Amino acid sequence: MIKAHPSDALLHSYVAGDLNSASGLVVSTHLDMCPHCKRMANVIEEELTAAMAAETENGAPTDGLGDDDMQLMLDAIFSSAAPDEGLVTTKTTNDGLIYLDGKRFQLPRSLARQQERIGPWNKMMGNMWRAPINLGTDEVANLIYMGSGTSVPEHTHKGTELQLVINGSFSDEYGHYHDGDLLFLDGTHQHTPHTSDEDCLILAVMDGPLHFTSGISRLLNPFSSLFFR
Amino acid sequence: MMQLQTNRQAPRAAVNPANDAAKKAEAQHLAGLLASIAETRCRRAFSELFRHFAPKLLAYGSRQFGNEQTASDLVQETMTNVWHKAHLFNADKGAPATWIFTIARNIRFDLLRKNKHRRDEISADELWPILSEQNDSLEDDYALDHDVLMQEISAYYAQLPDAQRIVIEKIYVEGKSQQEVSDALGIPLGTVKSRTRLALLKLKELIA
Repeated sequence: MIKAHPSDALLHSYVAGDLNSASGLVVSTHLDMCPHCKRMANVIEEELTAAMAAETENGAPTDGLGDDDMQLMLDAIFSSAAPDEGLVTTKTTNDGLIYLDGKRFQLPRSLARQQERIGPWNKMMGNMWRAPINLGTDEVANLIYMGSGTSVPEHTHKGTELQLVINGSFSDEYGHYHDGDLLFLDGTHQHTPHTSDEDCLILAVMDGPLHFTSGISRLLNPFSSLFFR
Repeated sequence: MMQLQTNRQAPRAAVNPANDAAKKAEAQHLAGLLASIAETRCRRAFSELFRHFAPKLLAYGSRQFGNEQTASDLVQETMTNVWHKAHLFNADKGAPATWIFTIARNIRFDLLRKNKHRRDEISADELWPILSEQNDSLEDDYALDHDVLMQEISAYYAQLPDAQRIVIEKIYVEGKSQQEVSDALGIPLGTVKSRTRLALLKLKELIA
């Protein structure tokens, strides 16, 4: 049962197309896993459509589109070449399966579609690994794998971070998170994520580095770019 | 930058039955136009659809971009997609207006990023796949669940007494009315009703 969902504001920004690509990927992957939010997103889609329809009903200026303009556009559309369907339909080679630590993980559809953008796995520390997802933008998106019994030193976030549990579970001071749970973290969250018996595969998107807050781990701060790239 | 705008207050459609019925009729008409475009490449249907949506899309685009030229690019690109991809519209998934809005939303997303374009940059349709055929695979997943469900139900169904099972079969599988079942089996309508009621009670008991 998914407990941690995107906020209304986040879901609304997603549907409106206002999120950046990386955050959009996290939310759409959550929607793959969460029928509840999928339904909410459909409702918001309908609301935004109604708002779009209302823009002209409420007397917004539409003088930019006279009959001549419309006819010109129609002619251009009728003479436009059909897009190459082959390019779209043949992209079915991604099976969405990844193999880590002798285990097999099935990626949700939104993520499986980006499978060729997933880079090599690099060790971060302990039994914690990371593979970058190259979205061709400046945003930082990673798959993070925490083996069982792994923990990240207590830290907060200089920017904001979205984390989605793809498979497995981890815990922090605020709760336990399982498949499909989506967390929004910022400077107000100070936490120590850790796994126990189970391992965990996470999709993480952040726009600023971690900031380690306790004891000797503060020494990691100069190297926090290790956790942000 | 993660944008967390709180413009949550989209106007909700007023709840008004007459209005709802008109909306439904309009959606059906628009869906019919899309079907004509998909099946016969009907230009007249498309022209009507275009005249319906172009002003709305232009107003949406003008507000989003603050620029009439980019707004008309949005209209042109959105409606070009509608013309070529009308066959991908699925009336079971939502209204035509919603489908067209989501296409416009994706084109807006790409237009906003065009100036800092990188060749490998992820496109809106990869993030919100509306116009890729793969989109339908989710339906297959559901279809599978549905089949499993049907298998379970038919197992319960087999446990009904014959007299009740036959009535249920005629009503729910063949789609007959209770009166038609009464006529077909030559039993009183009251008996059909009570057998239906008993059968449904029994099924409920088995499933719960």
